[in-house]
Amino acid sequence: MHYISSSNFAKFLENLKSDYEVYVTVKKGGQYFYEKYIDFTDDIVIGEVRAFEPLKSFFFRAREIVAENFKSDIPHTIQKPYCVVGVKACDLKGLQIQDYVFENHDYQDPFYIDMRKNNLIISADCTSTIDTCFCLALNVKPYPLENFDINLSVVGEDFVVEVGSQKGKILIEKYSSLFEEVKEEFISQRDKQRKKVINGVEKNIKENDIPHQDSFKNIIERGYESNIWADEANNCVECGACNTICPTCHCFLLYDQKSENKMARLRIWDSCMIKDFAQVAGGANPRPELWMRLRNRFEKKFDFFPKVANIYACTGCGRCISACPAKIDIRKILNGLVYNA
Amino acid sequence: MHKIINPYRPIKAEITGVISETPTIKTIRIVPEEPITFETGQFIELTIPGIGEAPFTPSSRPAMKDIMEITIMNVGKVTEKIHELKKGDMVGVRGPFGKGYPMDRFKGKEILVVGGGCGFAPIRSLMYEFFDRSGEFKKLFFRGGCKTPQEFLYRGEIEGDWAKRKDLDLKLTVDKGDSGWKGNVGVVTTILDGIDMDYKSGVALVCGPPVMMKFSTKKLIEMGFKEENIYLSMEKNMSCGIGKCGHCRIGTYYVCKDGPVFTYDKIKNFSNIWD
Repeated sequence: MHYISSSNFAKFLENLKSDYEVYVTVKKGGQYFYEKYIDFTDDIVIGEVRAFEPLKSFFFRAREIVAENFKSDIPHTIQKPYCVVGVKACDLKGLQIQDYVFENHDYQDPFYIDMRKNNLIISADCTSTIDTCFCLALNVKPYPLENFDINLSVVGEDFVVEVGSQKGKILIEKYSSLFEEVKEEFISQRDKQRKKVINGVEKNIKENDIPHQDSFKNIIERGYESNIWADEANNCVECGACNTICPTCHCFLLYDQKSENKMARLRIWDSCMIKDFAQVAGGANPRPELWMRLRNRFEKKFDFFPKVANIYACTGCGRCISACPAKIDIRKILNGLVYNA
Repeated sequence: MHKIINPYRPIKAEITGVISETPTIKTIRIVPEEPITFETGQFIELTIPGIGEAPFTPSSRPAMKDIMEITIMNVGKVTEKIHELKKGDMVGVRGPFGKGYPMDRFKGKEILVVGGGCGFAPIRSLMYEFFDRSGEFKKLFFRGGCKTPQEFLYRGEIEGDWAKRKDLDLKLTVDKGDSGWKGNVGVVTTILDGIDMDYKSGVALVCGPPVMMKFSTKKLIEMGFKEENIYLSMEKNMSCGIGKCGHCRIGTYYVCKDGPVFTYDKIKNFSNIWD
């Protein structure tokens, strides 16, 4: 483990700019956003909690051109790979799902792979919680343990630095003058901090009575005919916010555009909550009712993914709770499925 | 390192012929710039440049490598445009996708093919594959039904060449006949009885509209076919073709990559498979 002062960290980021498109978490109006790194400004917040938008948007972009005019090449749009700084553990788990879908699932997606292959993930411990955080219920700790290149734990103004990959190791060696040996007191400070955040998440879980994933086995099957779906979907306005904001949702729509003699195929994020998502041109729709689509959304996360990839496609980030205008609450649904279905 | 291919990019193809099959169904014949070979039962995505794409199972002989025929009913945004296309127009093709019929598994067996309406399109391709490999299978039966004689796809071909074949036992039906119709009248399940085959060891391959597949499957099980010997060609909203866009998932499968051909036992427990 290493240690880096905030002033040296600013220098480190400055150096990374030559090889990467560097994005860093900033705090604005009580929310956190990824913004392009220019200078180490005061609004940069490395710790605290997850960003507003999910990490997937860097690699599986909300809108991108995937084919043009029958040309066989892969349209490239970025010059440099991304370096994303301040990524939280919940989003690293989200990336695991995206990686599975786009990299390993029988066929590879060249766009995702291209965006993902050379990037650098500099993650960070959560140093606080918001009331929608429930990562521990999904076996995600509020501090990264894997799937990062470098991890930062904020201690005072500075950082305890952990290396998570060969790529991260090489970088730290390359800029070794910026890093120091970490002192024992900073590690214990970090551990104390981590314990505090765990307590915060545990408090959330207790207050909302959120079941742990160890009790999720077969909840969809058991609750398939439950009234919970119709009850909870009652106020859904079919906006799809829960899908777009979700770090694990990966569904997309392919559509074609014509402009003069050019044609382009685009893909945009799609939402399984929208009525025609699974409908075919002939009119048949396997999920004509909203509650069926809500159930399907949970089936995908808590039945499909554990069966095909041995992972629950939920990170406990709580974004869908905050995003839903109808106050549909994943915590309540999980509780209902585990305890009442 | 292998070459990275773009799975979303269509290959340009020229339309070399358009055949009007019924008032709502046309067959287009295309020649792709790069050869596309498919196994019967696999599907392709057909692009109308700038408009969009839609999934179809080719209706042509898989052994015919340069030309592909696709039979298309005018039902949606893309198919409406396809029906306006003429000889010489350009389209795009992606694929083939998914898993077709496991032909080798049918070797030495008695085979019953049940088709309904626009399901004749994939079945035509399948039947040609059976004809091309005629000696490999013990017996071949085809039972096909359409709503009316006017809606009978490939009627000339079926009543002509197919009917003459010694290796095929053929019976057809329509829901509602007309003065010229001499065959059976009734839904396709009414001509499934009394087929001279051993249902328990035989295989049944069903393709047609969802409601026809549902009742045919039910009937076939009653007759004694094993669930794992009933092959269904499923139609869902297949879009990307490679199991990523999420639209065609049923249960733990993506129809586009794990199907579109499934045996009934694999999918029977999933909800709304017939919708």
